[in-house]
Amino acid sequence: METRLANIWRLTVNEKKFIETALQSDLRIDGRRPFDFRNISIKFSREEGSAEVQLGQTHVMAFVTAQLTQPYKDRPNEGTLSMFTEFSPMADPSFEPGRPSEAAVELGRVIDRGLRESRAVDTESLCVLSGKSVWAVRVDLHILDNGGNLVDAANIAALAALLTFRRPECSLGGEDGQQVIVHPPEVREPLPLIIHHLPIAVTFAFFSNESTVVVDPTHYEEAVMGGRMTATLNANNDICAIQKAGGEGVLQSVIMQCLRIAGQKAYDITTKIKNAVESYNTERALRKIKRHPSSVALDISGAGVNKEKNQNKPVPQKGDSERSNLTSEKSVADQSMDIEGEAKSSEQQQTNKIDGDAKNFIGGPSSWDPYSAGVNSDFLKASLASRGIKMPRRKEQDSRGENMTGEAKPVEPSEDINVSSSNIEASETVLWTNGEKTLKDAVKPKNKRKMKSSSTSER
Amino acid sequence: MENKPTSSPTSFVDQSVVPGDVVLDLSNMTNQTLKLGGGLRQDCDAISVMKAGKLRFSNPNKYWVESSQKRYVPRAGDSVLGIVVDSKADNFLVDIKGPGLAFLPVLAFEGGTRRNIPKFEIGTLLYVRVVKANPGMNPELSCTDASGKAAEFGLLKDGYMFESSTGLSRMLLSSPTCPVLDALGKKLSFETAVGLNGRVWVNASSPSTVIVVANAIMNSESLSGVQQRIMVEKLIQNLKLST
Repeated sequence: METRLANIWRLTVNEKKFIETALQSDLRIDGRRPFDFRNISIKFSREEGSAEVQLGQTHVMAFVTAQLTQPYKDRPNEGTLSMFTEFSPMADPSFEPGRPSEAAVELGRVIDRGLRESRAVDTESLCVLSGKSVWAVRVDLHILDNGGNLVDAANIAALAALLTFRRPECSLGGEDGQQVIVHPPEVREPLPLIIHHLPIAVTFAFFSNESTVVVDPTHYEEAVMGGRMTATLNANNDICAIQKAGGEGVLQSVIMQCLRIAGQKAYDITTKIKNAVESYNTERALRKIKRHPSSVALDISGAGVNKEKNQNKPVPQKGDSERSNLTSEKSVADQSMDIEGEAKSSEQQQTNKIDGDAKNFIGGPSSWDPYSAGVNSDFLKASLASRGIKMPRRKEQDSRGENMTGEAKPVEPSEDINVSSSNIEASETVLWTNGEKTLKDAVKPKNKRKMKSSSTSER
Repeated sequence: MENKPTSSPTSFVDQSVVPGDVVLDLSNMTNQTLKLGGGLRQDCDAISVMKAGKLRFSNPNKYWVESSQKRYVPRAGDSVLGIVVDSKADNFLVDIKGPGLAFLPVLAFEGGTRRNIPKFEIGTLLYVRVVKANPGMNPELSCTDASGKAAEFGLLKDGYMFESSTGLSRMLLSSPTCPVLDALGKKLSFETAVGLNGRVWVNASSPSTVIVVANAIMNSESLSGVQQRIMVEKLIQNLKLST
């Protein structure tokens, strides 16, 4: 019993007095100003749908998984989103293993409310068979280290994980069309969740000194504070949820000020999350591309191989060697995806001698094709969007010497390939079914549509 | 386990050692008295290491292993910072970051009698000396030095306390003065109390000074002397810019 007493973290009267005194001169013990957030670092792992967030000393991990289940009776068309929190005993001496404590339940509830009530995650798109089979998305939050302000960090982790999660694609089959077939990721590219906006939680701590408010309290400040409030907002300044459970009474003007500050912080954090997710998606796309060239190169005809090598030499000189590799590899990969359209594509490309080298290594069919049906349109969109090719392709066409031309062209043929192959079921592919066109027609209008679709589906 | 050490014992001094290393072979040394400190064990003729850390030697004959941890193992003679947890009739229960609570007798103050027992509320910070620390028993503390004088032990008022590792505490207490404190002392005026149990208390006239000193000390653990000075200068510059 005494040993237990000895292991608890204790607060001295000195610290309490000092924190409050320092706050009166707008100083915090780690040198921050009252409305500064700590440094946020977001990391992802190889598994899709898992994120680790560090907010100063606070460490939180989130995992997202999905399963097919029966929907609720009163909502037969919607999938479900549920949140589970685990306060690991290694995070804080006061965390016990076993049943979630009150704080754990409250944390899960605040984050859940922010996502659910604001309809940030689109649950209707998770419906597979109305009334019978829907996707149940489950978010597991693990607290690894408690350095204060768990709600905010856990919220960021949950959002980052949801943004990078991919669920398997499924289709209806069987005799009566009632059987759900789940396609494994090797066969069909998994799909991301549709997330309309990002609700960000911002926590404020109030102290006994009237209007002393700080943002993002640390562990010490949490022990000393008189009350706290969490406001969940998105980047458009829409308030998704507010949580103030007991504690000190606060003036209305203070609350309004807090909400205004929360709006700014939400915007900053949203940008950070989006940047992190984008760079993760780029890296993921790169990883996929690198799988292909080694096998496809063998099958390309001799001319194609030589020209590929030739291309690789002059292009790096233009400056961006990474991009050129991406280009060549990507174009090669695109070819491997769809055998059927290749003949057409090679024709079309050869009619388009903007950058002669890039076209010519579309050679014979590759014998190894992991994508037996369709194209991973998501992958294309992700890599395009992340490379930021939002500028009109016209510029690229004009500036022939530029690197970007090399990138643009190999994508076009694959779009046309998609046009010709009709076995893509995702809704986004409606755009692609435009009939056969020449490359020049394809470039301008098609790109705008594709950009818009990629930007809306990804955000 | 009885390896013949291939090198002489002095080569292990100031080196990192791990449990199982045999650092001394007594068969070569006769008619000598050695004092073994923490982390070393005698197995017949071999002295082997029990704790990972650096082997230290002090003339004429003391060997011990030094390591830096977050936990503290109470030893008699250490000066530590304790937090009052409870007060009983005969003694105060004080937390010194050890495996169990320590007892501070109510009379263990300079001029302490039954009439002037100090009243410490829960959470009071004290600078105390460990008198007895036997394994299995609660350590005993005192607010006086060995001769009964107060010698700056006792209640610490105001200021700010933070936790550190035991290695950092030892570095702060080393002589000559460690570079961090030296560099800070040249520009700022403050007072500190360092406990060997991994607690440090800082006090100064203005909160910003306290914050700068505390952060400088917390950051200085893994830095070399020169790096510490550079870090301190940067922090002080920021402080001057903001005031």
